[in-house]
Amino acid sequence: MSERTRKIESALALVLSTLAALVGLFWLVFILGDVIMKGASAITPSLFLHNPTPEGVEGGGLKNAFVGQGLITLFATLFGVPIGLLGGTFLAEYAGHGKVTRMISALSDIMISVPTMVVGTFIYAVMVKPLGHFSGWAGSVALAVVMVPVVLRTTENMLRLVPWTLREAAFALGAPKYKVITQVVYRGAITGIFTGVLLSIARVAGETAPLLFTSFSNNFFSTDMKGPVASLTVTIFQYAMGPYDDWHQQAWAAALVITLFILAITIVGRIFIKLRYGNK
Amino acid sequence: MKFKYSPMDWVFKVVTAAAALTIVVIFAGILFVLIRESKPAIQAFGVFKFIFSTDWDPVKESFGAATNLFGTLVTTFLSLLLAMPVAIGIAIFLTEIAPSFLKGPFGVAIEMLAAIPSIIYGMWGLFTLSPLMGNHIEPWLQNTIGKLPLIGILFQGTPMGVDLLTASLILSIMVIPFTASIARDAFQLTPAIVKESAYAMGATKWEVVKNVVLPYSKLGVFGGAVLSLGRALGETMAVAFVLGNNHQITKSLFDAAATITVTLANEFTEASGRIYLSSLFYIALLLFVLSFVLLTAAKLLLFKTGKQENPR
Repeated sequence: MSERTRKIESALALVLSTLAALVGLFWLVFILGDVIMKGASAITPSLFLHNPTPEGVEGGGLKNAFVGQGLITLFATLFGVPIGLLGGTFLAEYAGHGKVTRMISALSDIMISVPTMVVGTFIYAVMVKPLGHFSGWAGSVALAVVMVPVVLRTTENMLRLVPWTLREAAFALGAPKYKVITQVVYRGAITGIFTGVLLSIARVAGETAPLLFTSFSNNFFSTDMKGPVASLTVTIFQYAMGPYDDWHQQAWAAALVITLFILAITIVGRIFIKLRYGNK
Repeated sequence: MKFKYSPMDWVFKVVTAAAALTIVVIFAGILFVLIRESKPAIQAFGVFKFIFSTDWDPVKESFGAATNLFGTLVTTFLSLLLAMPVAIGIAIFLTEIAPSFLKGPFGVAIEMLAAIPSIIYGMWGLFTLSPLMGNHIEPWLQNTIGKLPLIGILFQGTPMGVDLLTASLILSIMVIPFTASIARDAFQLTPAIVKESAYAMGATKWEVVKNVVLPYSKLGVFGGAVLSLGRALGETMAVAFVLGNNHQITKSLFDAAATITVTLANEFTEASGRIYLSSLFYIALLLFVLSFVLLTAAKLLLFKTGKQENPR
Protein backbone atom coordinates (compact mmCIF):
# COMPACT_ATOMS: atom_id res chain seq x y z
CA MET A 1 0.00 0.00 0.00
CA SER A 2 1.36 3.39 -0.87
CA GLU A 3 1.81 5.93 1.87
CA ARG A 4 -0.94 8.06 0.39
CA THR A 5 -3.62 5.37 0.55
CA ARG A 6 -2.52 4.45 4.06
CA LYS A 7 -2.92 8.04 5.16
CA ILE A 8 -6.32 8.30 3.52
CA GLU A 9 -7.43 5.05 5.12
CA SER A 10 -6.32 6.30 8.51
CA ALA A 11 -8.09 9.62 8.10
CA LEU A 12 -11.25 7.82 7.02
CA ALA A 13 -11.20 5.53 10.06
CA LEU A 14 -10.70 8.49 12.39
CA VAL A 15 -13.56 10.39 10.79
CA LEU A 16 -15.80 7.33 11.25
CA SER A 17 -14.85 7.07 14.93
CA THR A 18 -15.60 10.74 15.45
CA LEU A 19 -18.93 10.21 13.72
CA ALA A 20 -19.67 7.32 16.11
CA ALA A 21 -18.98 9.65 19.01
CA LEU A 22 -21.36 12.20 17.50
CA VAL A 23 -24.02 9.49 17.13
CA GLY A 24 -23.77 8.79 20.86
CA LEU A 25 -24.04 12.49 21.61
CA PHE A 26 -26.96 12.80 19.17
CA TRP A 27 -29.03 10.20 21.06
CA LEU A 28 -28.33 11.91 24.38
CA VAL A 29 -29.38 15.33 23.06
CA PHE A 30 -32.39 13.85 21.26
CA ILE A 31 -33.73 11.97 24.31
CA LEU A 32 -32.92 14.60 26.93
CA GLY A 33 -34.14 17.44 24.71
CA ASP A 34 -37.40 15.63 24.04
CA VAL A 35 -38.00 14.90 27.73
CA ILE A 36 -37.16 18.48 28.72
CA MET A 37 -39.31 20.08 26.03
CA LYS A 38 -42.36 17.90 26.51
CA GLY A 39 -41.96 17.70 30.27
CA ALA A 40 -41.33 21.37 31.02
CA SER A 41 -44.57 22.50 29.39
CA ALA A 42 -46.51 20.00 31.50
CA ILE A 43 -45.04 20.90 34.87
CA THR A 44 -47.57 22.84 36.92
CA PRO A 45 -47.96 23.43 40.65
CA SER A 46 -51.00 21.17 40.70
CA LEU A 47 -48.83 18.25 39.54
CA PHE A 48 -47.16 18.29 42.95
CA LEU A 49 -50.08 19.51 45.05
CA HIS A 50 -53.02 17.43 43.87
CA ASN A 51 -53.89 13.77 43.69
CA PRO A 52 -55.14 12.11 40.51
CA THR A 53 -58.69 12.83 39.43
CA PRO A 54 -60.98 9.90 38.54
CA GLU A 55 -60.17 8.28 35.20
CA GLY A 56 -61.12 10.47 32.23
CA VAL A 57 -61.58 13.64 34.26
CA GLU A 58 -59.09 16.39 33.33
CA GLY A 59 -56.77 17.95 35.87
CA GLY A 60 -55.36 16.57 39.06
CA GLY A 61 -51.75 15.78 39.82
CA LEU A 62 -49.38 13.10 40.99
CA LYS A 63 -48.84 14.07 44.60
CA ASN A 64 -49.54 10.49 45.65
CA ALA A 65 -46.86 9.15 43.32
CA PHE A 66 -44.23 11.68 44.41
CA VAL A 67 -44.81 10.88 48.07
CA GLY A 68 -45.02 7.14 47.39
CA GLN A 69 -41.82 7.10 45.36
CA GLY A 70 -40.08 9.01 48.14
CA LEU A 71 -41.27 6.57 50.81
CA ILE A 72 -40.40 3.44 48.83
CA THR A 73 -36.94 4.76 47.93
CA LEU A 74 -36.30 5.97 51.50
CA PHE A 75 -37.05 2.59 53.06
CA ALA A 76 -35.15 0.77 50.31
CA THR A 77 -32.13 2.92 51.23
CA LEU A 78 -32.62 2.22 54.94
CA PHE A 79 -32.72 -1.56 54.29
CA GLY A 80 -30.17 -1.81 51.52
CA VAL A 81 -27.39 0.59 52.49
CA PRO A 82 -26.47 -0.85 55.92
CA ILE A 83 -26.34 -4.41 54.55
CA GLY A 84 -24.24 -3.37 51.57
CA LEU A 85 -21.96 -1.24 53.73
CA LEU A 86 -21.32 -3.93 56.33
CA GLY A 87 -20.95 -6.63 53.70
CA GLY A 88 -18.39 -4.55 51.81
CA THR A 89 -16.58 -3.95 55.11
CA PHE A 90 -16.31 -7.69 55.74
CA LEU A 91 -14.90 -8.36 52.29
CA ALA A 92 -12.32 -5.57 52.48
CA GLU A 93 -11.30 -5.80 56.15
CA TYR A 94 -11.75 -9.36 57.37
CA ALA A 95 -11.84 -11.71 54.42
CA GLY A 96 -8.62 -10.69 52.70
CA HIS A 97 -8.16 -11.90 49.15
CA GLY A 98 -9.26 -15.48 49.68
CA LYS A 99 -11.57 -17.65 47.62
CA VAL A 100 -14.71 -16.80 49.56
CA THR A 101 -14.11 -13.07 49.15
CA ARG A 102 -13.55 -13.41 45.44
CA MET A 103 -16.66 -15.53 45.07
CA ILE A 104 -18.87 -13.08 46.96
CA SER A 105 -17.40 -10.13 45.04
CA ALA A 106 -17.99 -11.84 41.72
CA LEU A 107 -21.51 -12.84 42.74
CA SER A 108 -22.26 -9.20 43.65
CA ASP A 109 -20.97 -8.03 40.30
CA ILE A 110 -23.29 -10.49 38.62
CA MET A 111 -26.21 -9.50 40.86
CA ILE A 112 -25.66 -5.84 39.84
CA SER A 113 -26.59 -6.77 36.28
CA VAL A 114 -29.22 -9.43 36.96
CA PRO A 115 -32.59 -8.52 35.39
CA THR A 116 -34.49 -6.43 37.92
CA MET A 117 -37.70 -7.92 36.58
CA VAL A 118 -36.62 -11.26 38.07
CA VAL A 119 -36.16 -9.56 41.44
CA GLY A 120 -39.74 -8.32 41.15
CA THR A 121 -41.11 -11.82 40.56
CA PHE A 122 -39.00 -13.16 43.45
CA ILE A 123 -40.33 -10.59 45.94
CA TYR A 124 -43.85 -11.21 44.63
CA ALA A 125 -43.48 -14.88 45.47
CA VAL A 126 -42.11 -14.32 48.98
CA MET A 127 -43.88 -11.14 50.13
CA VAL A 128 -46.99 -10.52 48.05
CA LYS A 129 -48.45 -13.96 47.34
CA PRO A 130 -48.32 -15.26 50.94
CA LEU A 131 -50.01 -12.10 52.26
CA GLY A 132 -52.48 -11.89 49.41
CA HIS A 133 -51.97 -8.20 48.65
CA PHE A 134 -49.44 -5.77 47.16
CA SER A 135 -47.53 -3.60 49.60
CA GLY A 136 -45.15 -0.69 49.75
CA TRP A 137 -42.88 -2.79 51.97
CA ALA A 138 -42.51 -5.36 49.22
CA GLY A 139 -41.54 -2.56 46.81
CA SER A 140 -38.91 -1.25 49.21
CA VAL A 141 -37.45 -4.71 49.78
CA ALA A 142 -37.31 -5.33 46.01
CA LEU A 143 -35.40 -2.09 45.48
CA ALA A 144 -33.14 -2.90 48.44
CA VAL A 145 -32.25 -6.22 46.80
CA VAL A 146 -31.19 -4.27 43.70
CA MET A 147 -29.25 -1.84 45.89
CA VAL A 148 -27.24 -4.17 48.15
CA PRO A 149 -24.73 -5.47 45.58
CA VAL A 150 -24.07 -1.94 44.27
CA VAL A 151 -23.32 -0.53 47.72
CA LEU A 152 -21.35 -3.62 48.71
CA ARG A 153 -18.99 -3.47 45.76
CA THR A 154 -18.33 0.27 45.94
CA THR A 155 -17.74 0.05 49.71
CA GLU A 156 -15.30 -2.82 49.24
CA ASN A 157 -13.40 -0.93 46.53
CA MET A 158 -13.28 2.30 48.50
CA LEU A 159 -12.08 0.63 51.70
CA ARG A 160 -9.32 -1.15 49.80
CA LEU A 161 -8.06 2.27 48.68
CA VAL A 162 -7.35 3.26 52.30
CA PRO A 163 -3.62 2.66 52.91
CA TRP A 164 -2.66 -0.20 55.28
CA THR A 165 -0.19 2.02 57.11
CA LEU A 166 -3.14 4.03 58.44
CA ARG A 167 -4.63 0.88 59.99
CA GLU A 168 -1.25 -0.18 61.37
CA ALA A 169 -0.79 3.20 63.01
CA ALA A 170 -4.15 2.80 64.76
CA PHE A 171 -3.36 -0.81 65.81
CA ALA A 172 -0.07 0.39 67.26
CA LEU A 173 -2.01 2.71 69.54
CA GLY A 174 -3.81 -0.37 70.88
CA ALA A 175 -7.16 0.15 69.19
CA PRO A 176 -9.28 -2.99 68.70
CA LYS A 177 -10.05 -3.85 65.10
CA TYR A 178 -13.68 -2.72 65.07
CA LYS A 179 -12.59 0.69 66.34
CA VAL A 180 -9.90 0.90 63.72
CA ILE A 181 -12.48 0.16 61.05
CA THR A 182 -15.26 2.42 62.28
CA GLN A 183 -13.11 5.36 63.36
CA VAL A 184 -10.13 5.30 61.04
CA VAL A 185 -10.86 3.34 57.87
CA TYR A 186 -14.43 4.61 57.44
CA ARG A 187 -13.20 8.18 57.85
CA GLY A 188 -10.60 7.72 55.17
CA ALA A 189 -13.14 6.34 52.72
CA ILE A 190 -16.19 8.39 53.67
CA THR A 191 -16.39 10.40 50.43
CA GLY A 192 -16.19 7.32 48.28
CA ILE A 193 -18.72 5.39 50.32
CA PHE A 194 -21.11 8.33 50.36
CA THR A 195 -20.83 8.64 46.59
CA GLY A 196 -21.52 4.93 46.20
CA VAL A 197 -24.66 5.33 48.28
CA LEU A 198 -25.75 8.33 46.19
CA LEU A 199 -25.23 6.44 42.95
CA SER A 200 -27.13 3.43 44.25
CA ILE A 201 -30.06 5.71 45.10
CA ALA A 202 -29.91 7.11 41.57
CA ARG A 203 -29.90 3.57 40.26
CA VAL A 204 -33.03 2.41 42.08
CA ALA A 205 -35.00 5.68 41.86
CA GLY A 206 -35.58 5.02 38.17
CA GLU A 207 -36.45 1.34 38.51
CA THR A 208 -39.87 0.25 37.35
CA ALA A 209 -39.72 -3.48 36.80
CA PRO A 210 -39.20 -4.49 40.46
CA LEU A 211 -42.16 -2.35 41.56
CA LEU A 212 -44.74 -3.59 39.06
CA PHE A 213 -45.77 -6.63 41.12
CA THR A 214 -44.68 -5.48 44.55
CA SER A 215 -45.80 -1.97 45.48
CA PHE A 216 -48.07 -2.02 42.39
CA SER A 217 -49.90 1.29 42.04
CA ASN A 218 -52.55 3.26 43.82
CA ASN A 219 -54.78 6.03 42.48
CA PHE A 220 -55.27 7.46 45.92
CA PHE A 221 -52.95 9.17 48.34
CA SER A 222 -51.57 6.55 50.69
CA THR A 223 -48.63 6.44 53.04
CA ASP A 224 -49.66 3.04 54.36
CA MET A 225 -46.72 0.83 53.42
CA LYS A 226 -48.77 -2.27 54.23
CA GLY A 227 -50.94 -1.63 51.18
CA PRO A 228 -50.24 -0.78 47.53
CA VAL A 229 -48.35 2.51 47.16
CA ALA A 230 -48.12 4.64 44.01
CA SER A 231 -44.67 5.25 42.54
CA LEU A 232 -43.65 7.70 39.83
CA THR A 233 -42.17 5.08 37.54
CA VAL A 234 -45.13 2.69 37.58
CA THR A 235 -47.45 5.67 37.14
CA ILE A 236 -45.46 6.77 34.08
CA PHE A 237 -45.85 3.26 32.66
CA GLN A 238 -49.62 3.27 33.20
CA TYR A 239 -50.20 6.82 32.05
CA ALA A 240 -48.06 6.54 28.93
CA MET A 241 -49.88 3.35 27.91
CA GLY A 242 -53.25 4.96 28.73
CA PRO A 243 -55.58 6.58 26.20
CA TYR A 244 -55.83 10.16 27.53
CA ASP A 245 -53.73 13.14 26.40
CA ASP A 246 -53.92 14.54 29.88
CA TRP A 247 -52.26 11.37 31.19
CA HIS A 248 -49.50 11.57 28.60
CA GLN A 249 -48.79 15.17 29.65
CA GLN A 250 -48.47 14.16 33.28
CA ALA A 251 -46.30 11.19 32.36
CA TRP A 252 -43.89 13.51 30.51
CA ALA A 253 -43.78 15.87 33.48
CA ALA A 254 -43.06 12.99 35.86
CA ALA A 255 -40.42 11.68 33.45
CA LEU A 256 -38.70 15.07 33.46
CA VAL A 257 -38.68 15.31 37.26
CA ILE A 258 -37.26 11.82 37.72
CA THR A 259 -34.64 12.24 34.98
CA LEU A 260 -33.39 15.55 36.38
CA PHE A 261 -33.28 14.06 39.89
CA ILE A 262 -31.20 11.10 38.74
CA LEU A 263 -28.86 13.12 36.52
CA ALA A 264 -28.30 15.64 39.32
CA ILE A 265 -27.35 12.88 41.78
CA THR A 266 -25.04 11.28 39.22
CA ILE A 267 -23.26 14.57 38.55
CA VAL A 268 -22.91 15.39 42.25
CA GLY A 269 -21.46 11.90 42.81
CA ARG A 270 -18.92 12.45 40.04
CA ILE A 271 -17.87 15.78 41.47
CA PHE A 272 -17.32 14.24 44.93
CA ILE A 273 -15.17 11.47 43.46
CA LYS A 274 -13.17 13.94 41.44
CA LEU A 275 -12.53 16.20 44.43
CA ARG A 276 -11.47 13.30 46.62
CA TYR A 277 -9.59 10.97 44.30
CA GLY A 278 -8.51 13.24 41.47
CA ASN A 279 -9.05 12.32 37.86
CA LYS A 280 -10.74 8.94 37.84
CA MET B 1 2.07 -10.37 71.77
CA LYS B 2 -1.68 -10.70 71.73
CA PHE B 3 -4.08 -7.80 71.21
CA LYS B 4 -6.49 -6.97 73.95
CA TYR B 5 -9.50 -8.79 72.55
CA SER B 6 -12.73 -6.90 72.84
CA PRO B 7 -16.07 -8.77 72.62
CA MET B 8 -17.27 -5.94 70.40
CA ASP B 9 -14.69 -7.05 67.91
CA TRP B 10 -16.31 -10.46 67.64
CA VAL B 11 -19.79 -8.95 67.32
CA PHE B 12 -18.70 -6.57 64.58
CA LYS B 13 -17.02 -9.34 62.64
CA VAL B 14 -20.08 -11.61 62.83
CA VAL B 15 -22.45 -8.79 61.81
CA THR B 16 -20.38 -7.82 58.79
CA ALA B 17 -19.94 -11.46 57.77
CA ALA B 18 -23.70 -11.95 57.93
CA ALA B 19 -24.19 -8.88 55.75
CA ALA B 20 -21.72 -10.18 53.18
CA LEU B 21 -23.52 -13.53 53.13
CA THR B 22 -26.84 -11.81 52.32
CA ILE B 23 -25.71 -11.66 48.69
CA VAL B 24 -25.34 -15.43 48.60
CA VAL B 25 -28.64 -15.86 50.42
CA ILE B 26 -30.47 -13.56 47.98
CA PHE B 27 -28.98 -15.36 45.01
CA ALA B 28 -29.81 -18.82 46.33
CA GLY B 29 -33.22 -17.54 47.44
CA ILE B 30 -34.12 -16.27 43.97
CA LEU B 31 -33.07 -19.56 42.39
CA PHE B 32 -34.91 -21.67 44.98
CA VAL B 33 -38.12 -19.62 44.93
CA LEU B 34 -38.30 -19.43 41.14
CA ILE B 35 -37.83 -23.20 40.84
CA ARG B 36 -40.45 -23.81 43.55
CA GLU B 37 -42.97 -21.49 41.90
CA SER B 38 -42.46 -22.90 38.42
CA LYS B 39 -42.76 -26.52 39.56
CA PRO B 40 -46.36 -27.01 38.33
CA ALA B 41 -45.36 -25.75 34.88
CA ILE B 42 -42.18 -27.84 34.85
CA GLN B 43 -44.25 -30.92 35.68
CA ALA B 44 -46.86 -30.08 33.07
CA PHE B 45 -44.60 -29.13 30.19
CA GLY B 46 -41.15 -30.56 30.94
CA VAL B 47 -37.96 -28.71 30.08
CA PHE B 48 -37.16 -29.18 26.39
CA LYS B 49 -40.79 -29.31 25.35
CA PHE B 50 -41.39 -26.02 27.15
CA ILE B 51 -38.38 -24.32 25.62
CA PHE B 52 -39.24 -25.34 22.07
CA SER B 53 -43.01 -25.03 22.18
CA THR B 54 -44.45 -21.94 20.50
CA ASP B 55 -47.77 -22.29 22.35
CA TRP B 56 -48.85 -19.39 24.51
CA ASP B 57 -52.52 -19.94 25.07
CA PRO B 58 -53.98 -18.80 28.39
CA VAL B 59 -57.43 -20.13 27.49
CA LYS B 60 -56.32 -23.71 26.83
CA GLU B 61 -53.62 -23.36 29.50
CA SER B 62 -50.92 -24.53 27.13
CA PHE B 63 -47.63 -22.67 27.41
CA GLY B 64 -44.15 -22.71 25.88
CA ALA B 65 -41.21 -20.36 26.05
CA ALA B 66 -40.14 -20.39 22.39
CA THR B 67 -41.86 -17.17 21.33
CA ASN B 68 -40.55 -15.29 24.36
CA LEU B 69 -37.06 -16.66 23.93
CA PHE B 70 -37.19 -15.76 20.24
CA GLY B 71 -38.08 -12.14 20.97
CA THR B 72 -35.52 -11.88 23.74
CA LEU B 73 -32.68 -13.34 21.69
CA VAL B 74 -33.46 -11.42 18.49
CA THR B 75 -33.72 -8.03 20.20
CA THR B 76 -30.64 -8.72 22.31
CA PHE B 77 -28.38 -9.75 19.44
CA LEU B 78 -29.70 -7.12 17.05
CA SER B 79 -29.18 -4.40 19.63
CA LEU B 80 -25.61 -5.52 20.17
CA LEU B 81 -25.03 -5.59 16.42
CA LEU B 82 -26.23 -1.99 16.20
CA ALA B 83 -24.39 -0.84 19.32
CA MET B 84 -20.99 -2.46 18.80
CA PRO B 85 -19.65 -0.29 15.93
CA VAL B 86 -20.79 2.91 17.63
CA ALA B 87 -19.40 1.85 21.01
CA ILE B 88 -16.01 0.91 19.59
CA GLY B 89 -15.94 4.15 17.61
CA ILE B 90 -16.64 6.08 20.80
CA ALA B 91 -13.88 4.22 22.61
CA ILE B 92 -11.40 4.97 19.80
CA PHE B 93 -12.50 8.60 19.81
CA LEU B 94 -12.06 8.88 23.57
CA THR B 95 -8.66 7.21 23.74
CA GLU B 96 -6.97 8.22 20.50
CA ILE B 97 -8.65 11.23 18.91
CA ALA B 98 -10.30 13.55 21.42
CA PRO B 99 -8.17 16.45 22.64
CA SER B 100 -7.77 16.20 26.41
CA PHE B 101 -10.10 19.11 27.15
CA LEU B 102 -12.91 17.19 25.43
CA LYS B 103 -12.30 13.81 27.07
CA GLY B 104 -13.80 14.73 30.44
CA PRO B 105 -17.03 16.37 29.26
CA PHE B 106 -17.61 13.77 26.56
CA GLY B 107 -17.07 10.94 29.02
CA VAL B 108 -19.65 12.55 31.31
CA ALA B 109 -22.11 12.84 28.41
CA ILE B 110 -21.82 9.12 27.67
CA GLU B 111 -22.24 8.40 31.38
CA MET B 112 -25.43 10.48 31.36
CA LEU B 113 -26.77 8.23 28.61
CA ALA B 114 -26.23 5.29 30.95
CA ALA B 115 -27.89 7.06 33.88
CA ILE B 116 -31.19 7.79 32.15
CA PRO B 117 -33.72 5.32 33.58
CA SER B 118 -35.06 2.68 31.24
CA ILE B 119 -38.68 3.79 31.69
CA ILE B 120 -37.68 7.12 30.10
CA TYR B 121 -36.16 5.28 27.13
CA GLY B 122 -39.37 3.29 26.82
CA MET B 123 -41.65 6.31 26.94
CA TRP B 124 -39.49 8.28 24.52
CA GLY B 125 -39.50 5.24 22.25
CA LEU B 126 -43.27 5.03 22.31
CA PHE B 127 -44.06 8.69 21.68
CA THR B 128 -41.09 9.87 19.61
CA LEU B 129 -39.00 7.12 18.08
CA SER B 130 -41.77 4.69 17.17
CA PRO B 131 -43.78 7.14 14.98
CA LEU B 132 -40.52 8.28 13.39
CA MET B 133 -39.61 4.69 12.58
CA GLY B 134 -43.07 3.76 11.36
CA ASN B 135 -43.60 6.80 9.15
CA HIS B 136 -40.17 7.53 7.76
CA ILE B 137 -37.28 5.21 8.48
CA GLU B 138 -38.95 1.84 8.02
CA PRO B 139 -40.68 2.67 4.69
CA TRP B 140 -37.34 3.99 3.50
CA LEU B 141 -35.57 0.79 4.58
CA GLN B 142 -38.24 -1.23 2.84
CA ASN B 143 -37.67 0.63 -0.41
CA THR B 144 -33.91 0.24 -0.28
CA ILE B 145 -32.58 -2.80 1.60
CA GLY B 146 -35.99 -4.45 1.46
CA LYS B 147 -35.66 -4.82 -2.31
CA LEU B 148 -32.53 -6.95 -2.04
CA PRO B 149 -32.86 -10.71 -2.37
CA LEU B 150 -32.54 -12.84 0.79
CA ILE B 151 -32.15 -9.94 3.28
CA GLY B 152 -35.31 -8.38 1.87
CA ILE B 153 -37.45 -10.91 3.70
CA LEU B 154 -36.48 -9.26 7.01
CA PHE B 155 -38.13 -6.03 5.93
CA GLN B 156 -41.55 -7.24 4.82
CA GLY B 157 -44.91 -6.20 6.17
CA THR B 158 -46.55 -2.93 7.10
CA PRO B 159 -44.15 -0.69 9.01
CA MET B 160 -45.90 0.28 12.22
CA GLY B 161 -42.98 1.35 14.37
CA VAL B 162 -44.04 -1.11 17.08
CA ASP B 163 -41.76 -3.99 16.21
CA LEU B 164 -38.50 -5.86 16.72
CA LEU B 165 -36.39 -3.24 14.90
CA THR B 166 -37.56 -0.26 16.99
CA ALA B 167 -37.15 -2.22 20.24
CA SER B 168 -33.64 -3.32 19.24
CA LEU B 169 -32.67 0.23 18.33
CA ILE B 170 -33.76 1.54 21.74
CA LEU B 171 -31.90 -1.30 23.45
CA SER B 172 -28.80 -0.52 21.42
CA ILE B 173 -28.85 3.11 22.58
CA MET B 174 -29.05 1.88 26.18
CA VAL B 175 -26.22 -0.60 25.70
CA ILE B 176 -23.80 1.79 23.93
CA PRO B 177 -22.49 3.45 27.13
CA PHE B 178 -21.68 0.12 28.87
CA THR B 179 -19.89 -1.33 25.88
CA ALA B 180 -18.08 1.93 25.16
CA SER B 181 -16.81 2.42 28.70
CA ILE B 182 -15.51 -1.14 28.99
CA ALA B 183 -13.90 -0.93 25.54
CA ARG B 184 -12.28 2.36 26.55
CA ASP B 185 -10.91 0.83 29.76
CA ALA B 186 -9.58 -2.11 27.77
CA PHE B 187 -7.95 0.19 25.20
CA GLN B 188 -6.25 2.16 27.94
CA LEU B 189 -4.55 -0.99 29.20
CA THR B 190 -2.43 -1.10 26.06
CA PRO B 191 1.07 -0.13 27.21
CA ALA B 192 2.10 3.22 25.73
CA ILE B 193 5.49 1.82 24.82
CA VAL B 194 3.99 -0.76 22.44
CA LYS B 195 1.97 1.94 20.71
CA GLU B 196 4.97 4.23 20.52
CA SER B 197 7.08 1.52 18.91
CA ALA B 198 4.44 1.12 16.21
CA TYR B 199 4.37 4.86 15.63
CA ALA B 200 8.16 4.85 15.41
CA MET B 201 7.88 2.25 12.64
CA GLY B 202 5.84 4.80 10.72
CA ALA B 203 2.40 3.32 11.37
CA THR B 204 -0.59 5.62 10.95
CA LYS B 205 -3.00 6.19 13.82
CA TRP B 206 -5.55 3.76 12.39
CA GLU B 207 -2.88 1.11 11.87
CA VAL B 208 -1.88 1.46 15.51
CA VAL B 209 -5.49 1.06 16.61
CA LYS B 210 -6.14 -1.84 14.25
CA ASN B 211 -2.88 -3.75 14.65
CA VAL B 212 -1.81 -2.92 18.19
CA VAL B 213 -4.63 -1.63 20.40
CA LEU B 214 -7.47 -3.88 19.17
CA PRO B 215 -5.51 -7.16 19.28
CA TYR B 216 -4.17 -6.19 22.69
CA SER B 217 -7.61 -5.44 24.11
CA LYS B 218 -9.83 -7.89 22.22
CA LEU B 219 -10.59 -9.99 25.30
CA GLY B 220 -11.73 -6.92 27.20
CA VAL B 221 -13.84 -5.66 24.32
CA PHE B 222 -15.39 -9.10 23.91
CA GLY B 223 -16.08 -9.27 27.65
CA GLY B 224 -17.78 -5.88 27.42
CA ALA B 225 -19.92 -7.14 24.55
CA VAL B 226 -21.01 -10.19 26.53
CA LEU B 227 -21.78 -8.02 29.56
CA SER B 228 -23.90 -5.80 27.34
CA LEU B 229 -25.72 -8.88 26.06
CA GLY B 230 -26.48 -9.77 29.67
CA ARG B 231 -27.82 -6.29 30.31
CA ALA B 232 -29.93 -6.15 27.16
CA LEU B 233 -31.34 -9.59 27.90
CA GLY B 234 -33.01 -8.48 31.12
CA GLU B 235 -34.14 -5.04 30.06
CA THR B 236 -37.85 -4.55 30.57
CA MET B 237 -39.24 -1.08 30.46
CA ALA B 238 -37.29 0.17 27.44
CA VAL B 239 -38.84 -2.49 25.23
CA ALA B 240 -42.20 -2.97 26.97
CA PHE B 241 -43.73 0.00 25.13
CA VAL B 242 -42.61 -0.73 21.59
CA LEU B 243 -42.67 -4.48 21.09
CA GLY B 244 -46.40 -5.17 21.02
CA ASN B 245 -46.45 -8.38 23.12
CA ASN B 246 -47.20 -10.65 20.19
CA HIS B 247 -46.60 -14.34 20.94
CA GLN B 248 -45.45 -15.47 17.53
CA ILE B 249 -42.21 -16.35 15.83
CA THR B 250 -42.05 -13.98 12.91
CA LYS B 251 -39.79 -13.56 9.91
CA SER B 252 -39.78 -9.79 9.49
CA LEU B 253 -38.12 -7.23 11.72
CA PHE B 254 -41.23 -5.11 11.19
CA ASP B 255 -43.39 -7.54 13.17
CA ALA B 256 -44.42 -7.20 16.77
CA ALA B 257 -42.97 -9.78 19.16
CA ALA B 258 -42.70 -10.60 22.85
CA THR B 259 -39.68 -10.93 25.11
CA ILE B 260 -39.62 -12.73 28.45
CA THR B 261 -39.51 -9.44 30.31
CA VAL B 262 -42.32 -7.83 28.29
CA THR B 263 -44.53 -10.88 28.79
CA LEU B 264 -43.90 -10.72 32.53
CA ALA B 265 -44.61 -6.97 32.69
CA ASN B 266 -47.86 -7.28 30.77
CA GLU B 267 -49.31 -10.54 32.02
CA PHE B 268 -48.03 -11.22 35.52
CA THR B 269 -50.63 -9.31 37.49
CA GLU B 270 -53.45 -10.51 35.28
CA ALA B 271 -52.49 -14.17 35.18
CA SER B 272 -55.34 -16.28 36.42
CA GLY B 273 -54.91 -19.95 37.04
CA ARG B 274 -52.10 -21.85 38.66
CA ILE B 275 -50.46 -23.12 35.47
CA TYR B 276 -50.49 -19.66 33.84
CA LEU B 277 -48.77 -17.97 36.77
CA SER B 278 -46.40 -20.89 37.16
CA SER B 279 -45.43 -20.67 33.48
CA LEU B 280 -44.63 -17.00 33.97
CA PHE B 281 -42.34 -17.93 36.87
CA TYR B 282 -40.84 -20.59 34.63
CA ILE B 283 -39.84 -18.07 31.93
CA ALA B 284 -38.50 -15.77 34.68
CA LEU B 285 -36.37 -18.71 35.82
CA LEU B 286 -35.11 -19.25 32.28
CA LEU B 287 -34.22 -15.56 32.06
CA PHE B 288 -32.41 -15.70 35.39
CA VAL B 289 -30.36 -18.72 34.38
CA LEU B 290 -29.60 -17.30 30.93
CA SER B 291 -28.42 -13.95 32.24
CA PHE B 292 -26.44 -15.62 35.02
CA VAL B 293 -24.56 -17.73 32.49
CA LEU B 294 -23.86 -14.74 30.24
CA LEU B 295 -22.77 -12.47 33.08
CA THR B 296 -20.51 -15.15 34.53
CA ALA B 297 -18.89 -15.58 31.13
CA ALA B 298 -18.41 -11.81 30.88
CA LYS B 299 -16.96 -11.75 34.37
CA LEU B 300 -14.43 -14.43 33.52
CA LEU B 301 -13.42 -12.69 30.29
CA LEU B 302 -12.99 -9.33 32.01
CA PHE B 303 -11.19 -10.98 34.91
CA LYS B 304 -8.69 -12.36 32.43
CA THR B 305 -7.95 -8.89 31.13
CA GLY B 306 -7.21 -7.92 34.71
CA LYS B 307 -9.75 -5.16 34.74
CA GLN B 308 -12.91 -5.26 36.83
CA GLU B 309 -16.16 -3.86 35.56
CA ASN B 310 -17.15 -0.51 37.04
CA PRO B 311 -19.98 -0.93 39.50
CA ARG B 312 -22.26 1.88 38.55
